[in-house]
Amino acid sequence: MINQALTTSLVYFILPNEYAQSPDQYDGRRIRLGGLVAPESVRFNDFDLQLTFLVTDGIESYPVQHVGAPPELFRENAGVVIEGSFDSGTFVSDNLLIKHSEVYEAPEDGHIDVEELRRSLQ
Amino acid sequence: MLSLGTLGTAALTLALALAVYAVVAGAIGAIRRDARLQTSARLTALAVFLAATTAVIVMQAALLTDDFSVKYVAEHSRIESPIWVKVVTMWAALEGSVLLWAWLLTAYGAVLAVTAPNTVLRSWSLVVMQVVTIFFLSVVTFAANPFIVLANPPLDGPGANPLLQNHWMMAVHPVLMYLGYVGLTVPFAFAIAALITRRPGTEWMRLTRRWTLFGWGFLTVGIISGGWWSYEVLGWGGYWAWDPVENVSLMPWLTATAFLHSIQVQERRRMLKAWNLLLIVLTFALTLLGTFLIRSGVISSVHAFGDGPVGPFFLAFFIIVTLVSLSLVVWRWDQVRDRADLDAVVSREGAFIGVNVLFLAMTFAVLLGTVFPLFVEATTGSRVTVGAPFFDAITLPVWMLVLLLMGVGPLLPWRRAETQTLRSNLTWMTGALLLALVLGFVFGVRKVYPLITIGLAGWNLASAGLLLAGAIVPRARITGRSLGQVFTQYAFEQKRRFGSMVVHLGVVVIALGIAASGGYRVDQQIRLPYGERVAFQGYELQALRPFSERVAGRNSVGVEVAVFQGNREITVLTPRINRFGTSQMTVPTPSVRYTASHDLYLALAGAVDPQQDFVIIRAVQSPFVTWIWIGGVIMALGTIYAMSPGDRPLRRSVSAEAPAGAET
Repeated sequence: MINQALTTSLVYFILPNEYAQSPDQYDGRRIRLGGLVAPESVRFNDFDLQLTFLVTDGIESYPVQHVGAPPELFRENAGVVIEGSFDSGTFVSDNLLIKHSEVYEAPEDGHIDVEELRRSLQ
Repeated sequence: MLSLGTLGTAALTLALALAVYAVVAGAIGAIRRDARLQTSARLTALAVFLAATTAVIVMQAALLTDDFSVKYVAEHSRIESPIWVKVVTMWAALEGSVLLWAWLLTAYGAVLAVTAPNTVLRSWSLVVMQVVTIFFLSVVTFAANPFIVLANPPLDGPGANPLLQNHWMMAVHPVLMYLGYVGLTVPFAFAIAALITRRPGTEWMRLTRRWTLFGWGFLTVGIISGGWWSYEVLGWGGYWAWDPVENVSLMPWLTATAFLHSIQVQERRRMLKAWNLLLIVLTFALTLLGTFLIRSGVISSVHAFGDGPVGPFFLAFFIIVTLVSLSLVVWRWDQVRDRADLDAVVSREGAFIGVNVLFLAMTFAVLLGTVFPLFVEATTGSRVTVGAPFFDAITLPVWMLVLLLMGVGPLLPWRRAETQTLRSNLTWMTGALLLALVLGFVFGVRKVYPLITIGLAGWNLASAGLLLAGAIVPRARITGRSLGQVFTQYAFEQKRRFGSMVVHLGVVVIALGIAASGGYRVDQQIRLPYGERVAFQGYELQALRPFSERVAGRNSVGVEVAVFQGNREITVLTPRINRFGTSQMTVPTPSVRYTASHDLYLALAGAVDPQQDFVIIRAVQSPFVTWIWIGGVIMALGTIYAMSPGDRPLRRSVSAEAPAGAET
């Protein structure tokens, strides 16, 4: 019983490119997806509180759907960790965390160091 | 020139040297039965305390005078901060909190040196206390010294972690936790002394009964106050998230709770000697392991305040403590082996053993869930967290069994239950359980765990009633006095017994609070256009105006929200976002309306933009959540009552005659 409870409640932390490599492994289960908010991708409807944006690690990016206002420090290129699951290519999130780490500086030239990004989000 | 930093390090080094002397003198004195050496070691405990106190005073002086040549002050304090923040900054980061821990330990060591009765155990337990003190003083002197002097001091510092500055509870919660941890070091020290001196009887636990309750009580209120702090500060409307930091505080509490119950079996039935020794060792070891886990950065946590270089030290000391204690138990096996056997499972001792198994199972599950990510990462390289569903799935059923046993246990007599009395008691309790279930159902409770909890609350209330009736009614009949008089006398004379009933009542109250608030929380984000009323859970919320204020190093931006109920304005809540000093970090700070039946909890969901004509807030309604804090107070009061002097020793004859009112 313990073993089963443990495996079903494991939440993997991955970046978009890791999802792209093996979507089957993660589809339908709860994961924490890390990445940066892609520039010019943020849409927020303040009536139904639907927030959509692209999350990217410089290699892959996926659309994110979240219900709720963008948090205080949410902006383009901000490091985010979102919790939820993939539903046919879109990540449906119910928890959105901003990582305001001083370690990772948002890239100026568009090049993202994936390993550094990963470390700064963990 | 003598700077505060140098002075602080000197005081710590002196304390360390004195503690080493106290250990050497105490151990040699005990082995050679040299009374003068023993006395010298005992008095040295006072000197250790004085030296450590000097270090604490120096730290406070450095914080209050903004002496940024002291590294800790430069890294964690700020000129602008209010005085209370400066004072509590001492335990707002790693180095300072180890200093506080070490200082409290020296204080307990000194109190023990003065007050412990002169028995064979005294010398060795003081030695063990000083060994632990040496560990903490070494960590704070060598690995995490807050007094390091900076060659080029900055003009100002960044201030304490915003999450900690944001609430006065931060002044209290860590101190309570450390008082708890350190309090449980005392029975640990006596347990080791009992093993060394071949006296694993009940003496060590009788001598430390108050210390155990004291440490356990502080740990209890420490954990609950931590829950209230996260409720008031973290802005998601919850109080427990199975975060590693929370888990490692819960583990020693679980084992200490098991210990509180199992020592009674040894006191009455001379059983479980080795078990009790191992339990208190485990409790102490878990505080070390927990500190290692959350301070070394091996486990990520939302509130791991400051990773540092101390992790390996705690891990090493954890291993040493575990190995030495286990070796001692093995070495003294002839003395600690139990000679009595369990007569019947259905007995007081049976219930105590059962509740021990449950608490240990929960400890294991919590430990497993907390460290499992480490194994996964080591074997597969994947970064994982264990979600709350795991902890809930394992611990909730076990808690239900704990509540079940909590009702039955106190009614069972020692050795063997007399079936007729037991059957009649169980009938009453089952009746109360069913009644409570029906009432819960009628009032709309449909979820399984909340419903079971309500039923078990009824079960426990009936049990408490039967216990009191069993103790009071026969006495009133024999003596011809009124029930009220007999009750007062009973509560006054049986402090330990009555105190434990009060603590159990607190547990029931907390269980109800958790069941209701966990099962029936409503949490949603709402768009509030300024000036319009928007309905939420029987309330109407109206955003009035945004505001900003600046006080003592804190910038707040927030919104005034009027709360209406039936067209009457009942209060104005002010959820806000705080920013401290120059820190980039923002702290969304909720505003809560507390009532007995439920809380209305408002937090800002996003930024407050003065250009916008609306604001989005997160509104949470949690039923009965306040009863968790009230239950905590009840538990604390019961613990204090059970500790207070004047408990009359039990009379065996009474417990044999009146099983229902059997005394402790």
